Amino acid sequence: MLVFDRVDYDYRQGEPVLRQLSFGIQPGEFVAVIGANGSGKSTAAKLMNGLLQPRAGEVRLGSLNTLNRDDLVRIRERIGLVFQNPDDQFITASVLDEVVFGLENLRVPRAEMSRRADAALRSVLMESYADSAPHQLSGGQKQRVAVAAVIAMQPEFLILDEATSMLDPQGRQELLQLLHGLHGQGLTIIHITHHMDEVLAADRVLLLSRGEMAYDGPPASLFSSDTIAGQPLELPFAARLYQALGLEVPVSADWKETIEQLWAMR
Amino acid sequence: MGYALTDISVRLDGRDILHSASCHLQEGKWISLIGRTGAGKSTLAKVVKGLVPFYSGEYRQNGQPMPRDRKGRLKAVPQIGYVFQYPEQQLFAATVEQELGFALTMLGASRTSVDQAIQAVMEKVGIPAELLPQNPFQLSGGLKRRVAIASVLIADPELLILDEPAAGLDPASRRKLLSRLRSWQKENGRTVLFISHQLEDVAEYSDEVILLNEGNILGHYEVNELFLKHPEQAGLPLPEPVQLLRLVERLSGQSLEPASCREADIMERVRAVWHGKGKLA
Amino acid sequence: MNTAATWGQYVHSASVIHRLDPRTKLLCVVVFTLCCMQLRAPAGYVAATVLAAGSMRLSRLPLRLYLRGLRPVLLFLLLPLLYHLLFNRSQDGILTEVFNLWRILLPVSIALVLTRTTKPLDLAKGLEVLCKPLIRLGIPVEAFALMVMLAVRFIPTISQELDRILMAQKARGLEIRSLRGRQRVQACLRLVIPLLATTIGRAEQLAMTIEARAYGNGRGRTSFRVLHFSRIDAAAGGIMLVYTLLILSGWRPW
Repeated sequence: MLVFDRVDYDYRQGEPVLRQLSFGIQPGEFVAVIGANGSGKSTAAKLMNGLLQPRAGEVRLGSLNTLNRDDLVRIRERIGLVFQNPDDQFITASVLDEVVFGLENLRVPRAEMSRRADAALRSVLMESYADSAPHQLSGGQKQRVAVAAVIAMQPEFLILDEATSMLDPQGRQELLQLLHGLHGQGLTIIHITHHMDEVLAADRVLLLSRGEMAYDGPPASLFSSDTIAGQPLELPFAARLYQALGLEVPVSADWKETIEQLWAMR
Repeated sequence: MGYALTDISVRLDGRDILHSASCHLQEGKWISLIGRTGAGKSTLAKVVKGLVPFYSGEYRQNGQPMPRDRKGRLKAVPQIGYVFQYPEQQLFAATVEQELGFALTMLGASRTSVDQAIQAVMEKVGIPAELLPQNPFQLSGGLKRRVAIASVLIADPELLILDEPAAGLDPASRRKLLSRLRSWQKENGRTVLFISHQLEDVAEYSDEVILLNEGNILGHYEVNELFLKHPEQAGLPLPEPVQLLRLVERLSGQSLEPASCREADIMERVRAVWHGKGKLA
Repeated sequence: MNTAATWGQYVHSASVIHRLDPRTKLLCVVVFTLCCMQLRAPAGYVAATVLAAGSMRLSRLPLRLYLRGLRPVLLFLLLPLLYHLLFNRSQDGILTEVFNLWRILLPVSIALVLTRTTKPLDLAKGLEVLCKPLIRLGIPVEAFALMVMLAVRFIPTISQELDRILMAQKARGLEIRSLRGRQRVQACLRLVIPLLATTIGRAEQLAMTIEARAYGNGRGRTSFRVLHFSRIDAAAGGIMLVYTLLILSGWRPW
């Protein structure tokens, strides 16, 4: 289990970014993290795998602690991170080298390396691009390679820090399908996003507001609760629709089926 | 009047990006450019601004041919403003003040008139005065974007090109930014060329839509005509309000005929039909 | 922008030179360059020229790719020659200058053959392997290899970045190409700030990516790319050895 225990963080003294943030994420969950620009979502992501260390409180993964330097490698082995900008996270000059980079760091033997790299590239449907250079790929393809580079390391947790925000709708769809497929295979997904439709597809939502936890629970009740009222967030379309029609039904991604059923019931 | 492109073809790095594209950007309209990544949207916009040369075709602005320099090379069109996709691609000055004043200084405006214009545009876009001496690269994402937009708006462009101006913003900030730009455009009778992947935004704010696919212009529509009459032409995931409209029309077996393809108008018609059918059990 | 035209960048082909192990090529370039300093007799110059021209020919790349790479170097080198032609018309002086010029052009052209025919990643790998013994001297060869790889990876990105910034400035009324003299120099200097700012931003993000993928854990790394010597490497090495011996022995057949 990944645990945030009363975590404080700031980049400059007197300007706290996270305040007393506490939560736990169980293996196998699909968690969406939302919040306005500047609410501390990305900072939380970097704290999760020890790229940043809390100013107060602790971030723990099982018995490992990010404050303990000797634990960091094992934490990063188990928690993979994909960032927002597809251009800035290519380390090497070819797709295959990119995927094996993390494996080399984990001292994986050569034969095993090429087997794992092939499997990872196949699972993101990029196996025919192994020799391509990054600037020859589209944004969605680059993000899929970034995901492959992380899953080849066989982590238990996959964190995506606004990884869909620079993609076109098709690229976004491709990446989401991939995430739900990986989740089906047992990977824990922590997905930071601005897209409300992606939030509805998650098991659980964490809403951050000025560095504090404003909501932690299933997505459906977030949008029917009063919590979201004071937030600079937009309701998903389904919630706006049910409000307009005066329907008291749980908000979900498949609003079309709900409308169809309700129409038939009258 | 307006901007007329006729049979424009563009080739970059030996690849054909645009194939004899023709379109007319009419003054006073908000025109959206849609299509997949790599369809040629940004290239078309750059041709309009005079940043990318075309090897065949003709381009006239208000009836006049493109400005060229002494050696016959294309010059960027001064009365057109261009907001690039990412602020990082656009910002380059050492301070916010220099960034905002750059375009006017290039046009040879006096020191005092530049200062006045900076004050005015900061109010319009919502940039606090204490940011002036700061480095634009160190601002937050939202502020960077505002500075990038303000640095273009300051020259009061006749035509404003917006390349994905809201990418990476949270939904509330996105909506605020786009409605501000839309009212600026309407109030001043300016023209906007808007590139976006978010068809919701396109349906909400546009007057017209140009559809691009693999370097070809597939069509140029009035926005309601596209989303209400020929939504299948868009070829991309349709905006949710339009999907709702189609669903309810199918269920009720009647045409709802909303006033426009904007969400508020569709919602109003759907509500009327829903309640007209009687309350839920 | 045509990337193949960028100075000295890799151009694909299946020639013998392309297939040589990067270590062989690196070593040959180093030895050839050292030999060039020892060139005395005209015969040595002929042999070196034959070698350089021969490897260009064997790489099956168009000659103009090499000439384009040599052009900027040539401009610099022609200045002293010009000086001699104008002010010191002694035949000896001019002849010495011509030989000096030739002696610098030879290693530059062989270095061009190396970069034009070797994928940057292989080059980085070759360099890493050749430098391995330096680890014992406490030199961080692995970090150095990563650095070389990142530099190679970022050359196209930074040149794209520069294009973008130029375009953004042009969009707001600055035409660098139509400026002259001091103004033009100032405008070019102004490009440095945004280029540095974006590059530093990228570097920070990249550093985080590298760390997030468990790099630098103090346990060392395994290696995916493995280099193999083959028979053509032996042949190339042999030719180089003969050439070196000829030069060092002060070969003077005529």
